[in-house]
Amino acid sequence: MSTNQKYTSENDSKHDENRNKGPSRWSSCRKRGADGSLRRSHPNEEENKDQRCSQRPERFTTPESEGPVSRVKNWGDEVEAEEMRSNVHRDMHRYRRRILAADSPQRDRKISSGSSESRDSKDSPAKGDVETDETTLMRRQKQITYGKNTLAYDRYMKEVPKHMRQPGVHPRTPNKFKKYSRRSWDQQIKLWRVSLHAWDPPAEEGSELEQIEEIDLGEIMDFDFDVECSADTETASQYPESKGASLSLQEDSFTGTPKKMMKIEDAEMA
Amino acid sequence: MENSSKDDYKIQSFDIETQTLLKTALNDPGSVDLEKVCSVIVEQSLKDQIFSREAGRICYSIVQTEAKQNNGSSFRRHLLTRLQQEFIAREETRRRSTQDWVCLVSFICNIFDYLKVNNMPMLALVQPVYDCLLRLAQPDALKNEVEVDCLVLQLHRIGDQLEKMNMERMDEMFYLLRDGFLLQEDLSSMGRLLLLEILEFRAGGWNLSDTAQKYYYSEVTD
Repeated sequence: MSTNQKYTSENDSKHDENRNKGPSRWSSCRKRGADGSLRRSHPNEEENKDQRCSQRPERFTTPESEGPVSRVKNWGDEVEAEEMRSNVHRDMHRYRRRILAADSPQRDRKISSGSSESRDSKDSPAKGDVETDETTLMRRQKQITYGKNTLAYDRYMKEVPKHMRQPGVHPRTPNKFKKYSRRSWDQQIKLWRVSLHAWDPPAEEGSELEQIEEIDLGEIMDFDFDVECSADTETASQYPESKGASLSLQEDSFTGTPKKMMKIEDAEMA
Repeated sequence: MENSSKDDYKIQSFDIETQTLLKTALNDPGSVDLEKVCSVIVEQSLKDQIFSREAGRICYSIVQTEAKQNNGSSFRRHLLTRLQQEFIAREETRRRSTQDWVCLVSFICNIFDYLKVNNMPMLALVQPVYDCLLRLAQPDALKNEVEVDCLVLQLHRIGDQLEKMNMERMDEMFYLLRDGFLLQEDLSSMGRLLLLEILEFRAGGWNLSDTAQKYYYSEVTD
């Protein structure tokens, strides 16, 4: 069966325009159109089906979508995007509550079990400085997810509990809710990811010592990255690994503790 | 890791080897071929009526466990991809076999019921579920008791959730159901009874009043 035939509309009119005019999929039961005018008497069932097919819009905006959504979408992709979106919104609520709590006179610093990446002990942004653009947040979240879906991060989490993290010594996930320029953000991500390599598992025999390359993570997010990916994903992050490229700046790529990184971090490694 | 007895997931209808595979998937998803597991579950759901109504639970368990174990979501992805294929071919399935068709609808609705994303129903499935149920509300389907039975079962289980996600389409569905009940001559009396009950059920806010309960179910032993 041809999917396209079923779903592609022959006219390009948007859903809204179609609603009030002519037969729709529901016209067999409705006496009046949505604009109140009486409908013609019902065409027979078969005809109705064809008309339904041909008049179904190809793209439309629903309350739950951000913009026009094309009809034939892969359910797997959609659900993954839904999940990320709802995670981002949940994070946003938590973050807002945390800022408000910090602003309150009691300065009651309750540490919830939420992600630490949004927790700023010293520099809570002013209320107007929260990043709220969903596209940006989703993009940033993807970058963070890639970083957390690594062996290094997993080992880091196991080795250093959050409450024992020392600022300057231990890598800290960039806060996606703060306002940063694109360049600034991408740079923070790079530095963060590089710093996580301190926790890469010991190199296996035969692996080469590669240079730590500057990779433009912004580009990678947009298309499939043909790299030898480690099939194993193993971290305690609430964001699932998506079908796209899993950046493999992990176990095989880098060996040893990058001492230079420690200097950048400006502290001694424990 | 929870102790999943066979009975929880209704997997008795599978052969022993498959049951073992499923149990392993429930405990250690990373160690099995999840695409195969998915395939096995979907195949069974499309022909076994009992299982089609319960498969959501085992699927959800596997999804949860995989997420906890390695933050993966490959089982869910396989499942949704497969489900989408079956959904696209549903009219053909209906033509071929009514039994297979009602199994498919039960299965999709069961997945919708169980596979939540952050405790919210999967948006991506809302329209497809409606498409299926609205198909069942068409005159040519209403005259088959089997299809009416499937329709009302799904509405009992997920009607209120569906309505929240899209009230308009639920209204449209009930226009069709009222019309069918009133005007369609080739409905069986059981078909009519089922429709009347579901009309009252929704009118009661997805609940049956005590008197209605007595009327429809007084002969049913619990």
